[in-house]
Parts: sequence; C-alpha cells; structure tokens
Amino acid sequence: MKRFGERRAVDRVDVCLDEGECLAVLGPNGAGKSTLLRMLATLLRPDAGELSVCGRRLPDEAVRARALIGYLGHDPMVYLDLTARQNLELYADLYGVPDARERVDDALDRVGLLARSFDLVRTFSRGMAQRLGLARVLLHEPRLLLLDEPYAGLDAAGAHLLDAVLADASRARGVVIVTHEVERGVALAGRLLVLRAGRAVLSEPTGPIDGAAFRTRYEELVA
Amino acid sequence: MSSTTDARPARRLAVTGALTAALTALAVYGVFFVAPEDADQGIIQKIFYFHVAIAIASLVAFGVACIAGIAYLRTRQVRFDEVSSASVAIGLGMSVLVVITGSIWAKASWGTWWVWTDPRLVTFLIVLLLYAAYFVLRSSAEGERRYRYAAIYSVAAFASVPLSFYSVRVARSFVHPVVFTQSGANMPNSMLIWFVVSQVAVLGIFLTVLQLELLQRRADSALRRVKARLEAAA
Amino acid sequence: MVLFAILAMLIFQFAFGSRLGDLTPFAGGILWATLALTAVLGVGRSWVPEREQRVLDGILTAPVPRLVLLVSKAGAIYAYLLAVEIVAVPLLTLFFVRGQAPVDVALVAVVCLLANVGIAILGSLLACLALFARARELLLPVLFLPSMLPVVIAAAGATHAVLGGTNDLAEYRGYCLFLAVYAVIFGLVAYATYDHVFDD
Repeated sequence: MKRFGERRAVDRVDVCLDEGECLAVLGPNGAGKSTLLRMLATLLRPDAGELSVCGRRLPDEAVRARALIGYLGHDPMVYLDLTARQNLELYADLYGVPDARERVDDALDRVGLLARSFDLVRTFSRGMAQRLGLARVLLHEPRLLLLDEPYAGLDAAGAHLLDAVLADASRARGVVIVTHEVERGVALAGRLLVLRAGRAVLSEPTGPIDGAAFRTRYEELVA
Repeated sequence: MSSTTDARPARRLAVTGALTAALTALAVYGVFFVAPEDADQGIIQKIFYFHVAIAIASLVAFGVACIAGIAYLRTRQVRFDEVSSASVAIGLGMSVLVVITGSIWAKASWGTWWVWTDPRLVTFLIVLLLYAAYFVLRSSAEGERRYRYAAIYSVAAFASVPLSFYSVRVARSFVHPVVFTQSGANMPNSMLIWFVVSQVAVLGIFLTVLQLELLQRRADSALRRVKARLEAAA
Repeated sequence: MVLFAILAMLIFQFAFGSRLGDLTPFAGGILWATLALTAVLGVGRSWVPEREQRVLDGILTAPVPRLVLLVSKAGAIYAYLLAVEIVAVPLLTLFFVRGQAPVDVALVAVVCLLANVGIAILGSLLACLALFARARELLLPVLFLPSMLPVVIAAAGATHAVLGGTNDLAEYRGYCLFLAVYAVIFGLVAYATYDHVFDD
C-alpha cells in the first residue's frame, strides 16, 4: 500500500509473478500503475504491506535487488551531455557489468545505434534516445524488467526491437509492463492485472483471451 | 477510533498546565520579590533569570525535535513528525524571546539595543535563521517528503547549534581574551535557587505548550479523517 | 564560477575599499564571504544534470549505495571549490593584502582544504533536500547559509590570523581545529541521514 498524503495511490494489491512470466498492468490514468511499478523498482517505499523482488525483501535488501532489476520509464534516463557509448559505459560501471567494452558494443549494435555511438545524446531524436534507454536497461541482463509505457517514445525500429526482446523467452526473465494499450498488453502478457483507483479489479492469467473481446470487459471494469 | 475519545492526553495536559502555572507564579514572585537585587544592574538584572532559562529551554526544545526527527526516520510514524515540528515552533518562539530579552539587557548594560560581543545573543540570532529555514523547507515539500526532509534538517540544524555557539565564542575570545562574567556561574545561593526554579518553570511551559499543540493537531487530523470518510460515503 | 568569485571580491572593494584604503585586515573576511556565496552557486548546480536530464531515476535504480552517491557529489563540490580557490586566493593577496610571505599563502591553502570538507558534506546533503522544490534557487541559500556561518567565522578567522598582519599561529591552529571538528560532526550527521534522503 502506498499513500500520497490522504490519497491511497496503491491499495491492497497482491501480485505474484514467477520467473519467465510477463505481467501486463492495465488501467485508466491515475489508477496507480506507475506508482506500483516505481515501488517494484525500489524508487518508492510502501507505507504498509510487504514487498519482495527477485527474492529480495524491500526495503532492507534494496541494493541487492537493484542489481537484478531493469527499469525503463517514460524517459530514457541518459545524460544528454555524454555520448551514447559513455552513457552505457557509465551504467555498465554502476551495475558492475563484466566485459564492459564488449557488452556495450553489443548493446549498441542490438538497438542499431553502433554508428552513432560517439555522438552526444543531445543530438539524438526521441526515438533514438529511447532505444538507447532500452540498451541501458538490458545491459546488465536483469532478471526482472520493469517497463512503463515503453512503446510511448519508441520509433518503428525501436518497437520491433522491443517486441523481439519481449518475445525472447529464452532469457527466463520476468517482465512487468505497464501500458494503456489493452490489446497489446493482452497479446504480450501471460498474466493481467487491471488497476482502478489504486485497487486491483482483475488479476488472472491471460490464457486464450481474445483481445477485442477483452476490450469490452475491460471498459466495464474501469468505468 | 479511540484516539478521538481518549481523555488521557487532555488530562495529562491539565496536570502539566496546573503544575507549570504554579511554578511560573512561584518563579515570578521569587525572582522579583525575594531574590536579592544585583548591586550593579538593579532590577534589569532580573531579566537575566528568564533570559537564560528560556535560552536553555529552547535548546531543549530543539533537542527534542532532533530526537523526534530521528525517531520519525526510523519508524516513519507521523506522530514523531508532529512532535518534531511542534517542538521547533516552540523553540523558535522562545529563541525570539531570548533575542528580545537579550537586547533589553544589552540596552541596560551597555546602552545599545544590539551588541556583537555577547556570544549567546549572536548564537541565538543564528539559531533563529537556522530554524526559520526549517519552516521554509517544510513548505517547499509535500506529503511524506515534507516529514522526511524536515526530520533530516532537524538533525543537521541541531548539530549546527553548538557549532555556531563555539565558533562565535572562539572568535570573541581571540579578539577579547577576557572571560565574561555577566552570567556569573558563581552566583550566591540566594540567586541560584530562583534561577533553578525559573528554569524548571520555563521547561514546564515548553512541555505544556507542546502537549497543547499536539492535542490540537490530533483533533484537527481526526476531524479531517471523519470529514474525508463522510465525503467518500456520500 | 571563477568569474563570479572575482566579481564578488570587486564588490567588496567598491563597497568598502574607497573609504578605507588598506583592506588587509579584512582580507580573510572578504575571501570567505566570496567563497560562501560561490559555494551556494556550486552546490545548487551539483544535481543539475540529473534533474534536468531526468537521469535521477536511472541512477537511483542502480545498485549503488546512497552513501556512495552523496560522497561522490560531495567530492564534486569539493573539486569545484578548490578550482575557484586556486584562482581566488592569489587574486585576494594581490588585491587586498600588503606585505605577506609566500608561506602565508600555503597556510591559507590548508584552511581552504579543511573548510571545503565541511562545505562539501553540508552542501551535498542539503542540495538533496532542495532537489525537488519549485523555488529551489531560493530554498538552497536559506537552508545552506545559516549552517555555513560557523565555517565562515572560523575560516575567515584563520585566514585573517595569517594574512591580516598579526600572524598569530595559535589563533590559526584554533580555527583550523574547529574546521576539522565541523567536518567530522557534519560527516556524522550525513552518515546518519543519507539513507533517508532518497527513500520515498
């Protein structure tokens, strides 16, 4: 449970995610989706209740948990005054990534920015910067990916990339993706969580749910 | 919701209030009618009793605020923030009184309304600014951040108090290597006893006002909770 | 930043110098008044990249202990102050001090090194408190300067003891000791509270 002043932003949400599962968090604006994600990212501390990520209890084992998490929000979180390469090298350093040089090259290549690796991020377009953000978040091979509206800033190339990343089940990583695109969420995820005004109104596996059919059900839930 | 109907805090307040009122009356009577007059300064010297008592009480208040701040950081319970902020408010008010009474005394002793040579007076001026900043900080943040930042600052500010005092004193002692005797740690017993009485009385005032303030805040927030509940149900 | 320090010193000259002629007794004070104001600017700038380029969340979700974060910002402030002092101190002796030996400047350097520690620690901590405030350019000086006053008093006193014409080494040592104590105490305060600064 997370309170902001008198308002309960997230209240009595029970979520349990196994390795390799993908959870889509849906809901209207202000439902508490981003707040929930930030709590999982160890950026916010819950006012009540328990929270553990990758087996690490928060907030006590926050530092260890952070090594296993990758958080991508609306912003790519890269320094505009550094080059793409310098940014990734910095993050590699922060996360203690071994073989940093190769991994950085590899990451830049995967997101298609290898050619621009020595350019300042200030010169990048929004889509390119967000792709760099994606590279950043994958650099340390996190066991849990936390994505907040990741498709929002991505260009077409980036969107394809992200699809590929999410479909890549071989990495055995857990993914929590917050999105307002209902159909995409249903298509990507193995579990669904729908929030409304901070409370969970739906929490179940996707199964063979049809996106369009679910849409009507969703509208009812959040009305 | 026992906290709204709990009569214990109110009863405690009544007890503290009564005791404090009695002590204060005793102190005023003792200081002005029983304690011997100072040969040099006459009746103005009597202000000194309260000046120092209030100064020490305000430092106690800031100490309480610091401890409550640490308690808040450890437990994140809002009641510790209430104690902390109320204590700072009272301490600040007392600090204003210290500066005012100090100024009156300066006028009586040296003829001017302000002197830079009294380390206590100068320190309390710094303390005023230090804790005025506390409220500026509080108003700049909202919600839980407000309590947390205020708690952190209450610790830093309290560390600044002795540092400020000693820096001013050390500076003075290099310029005027004469030891001040205006306070006279060697007071005759006839004066000392009333000094102690007035000190306890002022500490009592602090406690009483603190309890009063806390009681009022709890009533306020209980009222707000009820109001919120009614609005939610409507 | 260096430019600002020079300008500040000029302000002091034009505010007092025309009437007093020899400002040597005030040199210590002028230096530390200037440095106090420059420090406010430097501390205010210490989080600018993270805040304006929205990198803060990225840094906070990395497995870097908060203490390391605060210490590194303190280090940055320290380096910034040092860079200003390297220019400001010689200029100070040029503009305001009559008849001093080179060793005096070395003693002043020691004062700078000591005072910077306290300023950096204090600044690093308080900058975080002002990070999210809307009027942060106003809030930071209000928070920072009252707690800085002991440093100004002691550092100005120590500098004056060396440059002001009296050359009182006992005084100098006393003030330097105070600066060291200040740094230790605020180091402890920062250590006690660092974990809670970003703990939303």
